[in-house]
Amino acid sequence: MPLALTLLAAVGNGVAWYRLSRRGHRWPARRAACMLAGSLCVGAALLPPLASHDDRFEVHVIQHLLLAMVAPVFLALSAPATLALRALPRRARRALLRMLHSPAVFVLTAPATAVTLDLGGLYALYLTGLYQAAERDSVIHTAVHLHMFLAGCLLSWAVIGIDPIRRRPGIRGRLAALVIAAAGHDTLAKLMYAWMLPAGGGPAAGRQLGAELMYYGGTAIDVALAVIVMTQWYLATGRALARTRRRSAVAGP
Amino acid sequence: MAISRPARASDDVAGKQIKRTIWSGVLAGVGLVAFADETVFHQLLHWHHFYDKSTLAVGLVSDGLFHAGGFIAMVAGLFLLADALRRGGFVPKRWWGALLLGAGGFQLYDGIVQHKLLGLHQIRYHVTLWPYDLTWNLIAAVMIAAGAALMTGRAGVAGSAMFRSDAGTAA
Repeated sequence: MPLALTLLAAVGNGVAWYRLSRRGHRWPARRAACMLAGSLCVGAALLPPLASHDDRFEVHVIQHLLLAMVAPVFLALSAPATLALRALPRRARRALLRMLHSPAVFVLTAPATAVTLDLGGLYALYLTGLYQAAERDSVIHTAVHLHMFLAGCLLSWAVIGIDPIRRRPGIRGRLAALVIAAAGHDTLAKLMYAWMLPAGGGPAAGRQLGAELMYYGGTAIDVALAVIVMTQWYLATGRALARTRRRSAVAGP
Repeated sequence: MAISRPARASDDVAGKQIKRTIWSGVLAGVGLVAFADETVFHQLLHWHHFYDKSTLAVGLVSDGLFHAGGFIAMVAGLFLLADALRRGGFVPKRWWGALLLGAGGFQLYDGIVQHKLLGLHQIRYHVTLWPYDLTWNLIAAVMIAAGAALMTGRAGVAGSAMFRSDAGTAA
């Protein structure tokens, strides 16, 4: 299901790039590269060989890191909503803009919502019998993947997204959301390691390896997120600083 | 008289710069201890365990918060340092003082609250523990004392033009 969504998004992106280039507009290559990298991560997570071995817990964790953490980071940096706003015909563009500025989207992309959905899904999956149920039932399995992917996207959009969302939180709010999400992720990994969870996760060694992979992999991605947030802040502050200096230079001493 | 107004304005700017310097130092200090703890004691010496199976859940939450918070604090602190340097008026002595305060404070928290009160993990296993605990907390106390000393007294602004991106326009 996320794979189908990604394919759809990739086709949509292709069409959007074509429309923009026909009008003589240019779309930054780094955003296109981010879209490509994000799609590749989703593909790698949901296709064999990973997908055919995801009954082993450590493989499932790698899948989870790619699908719910790495891919959303790239996708958020590819600014898909901005691309859509540029490429869509006028009426569709207005509808999309109305949707982006709606209260529902504001609530969904608030850091608190994103963190709650993300951590809530993870804790429910690994600490209850949900993981075991998802191993048996393919519908639940798909729903779990979809939730992990979408919640990861919400979090990435809230913390490092560059699409035009109304009232994006400031640097402190975004860093706080990142610290809470990262701490919740680390704590869960240790709880799983300690209590030999999730139930139905296969051999004990695989479960412990999975928990350690989740801990260190999650930390690495969270550090990368922190670097991205602070780089965005540094560049934005630098632009503001240059503006102030230009203005005071014009005004004279 | 002509100088008085710009001087007051720059006093305000200097106050903001001191604040930025101190925040940067504290965050980098916390990050440094978290980083040293993780690499030296967990990864290189294998003294600390990943998880020693005697910990309460509240200890794990505290550890998770400081593990994640420590790394993110390091990143944020270094970016704040870069920002303070490019603005000019950076105060190195206060930065080092704040760094030592942050590092010592975090180490003391780790040594007293996490190791002892929450029983998260011990410094080393199968040895007499108290000399390790004493050394750990003494180092923390020394860092805090040194940091506090650097936070008082006179401190000069970094004079080097290398740090002043507006060196040419300041005059």
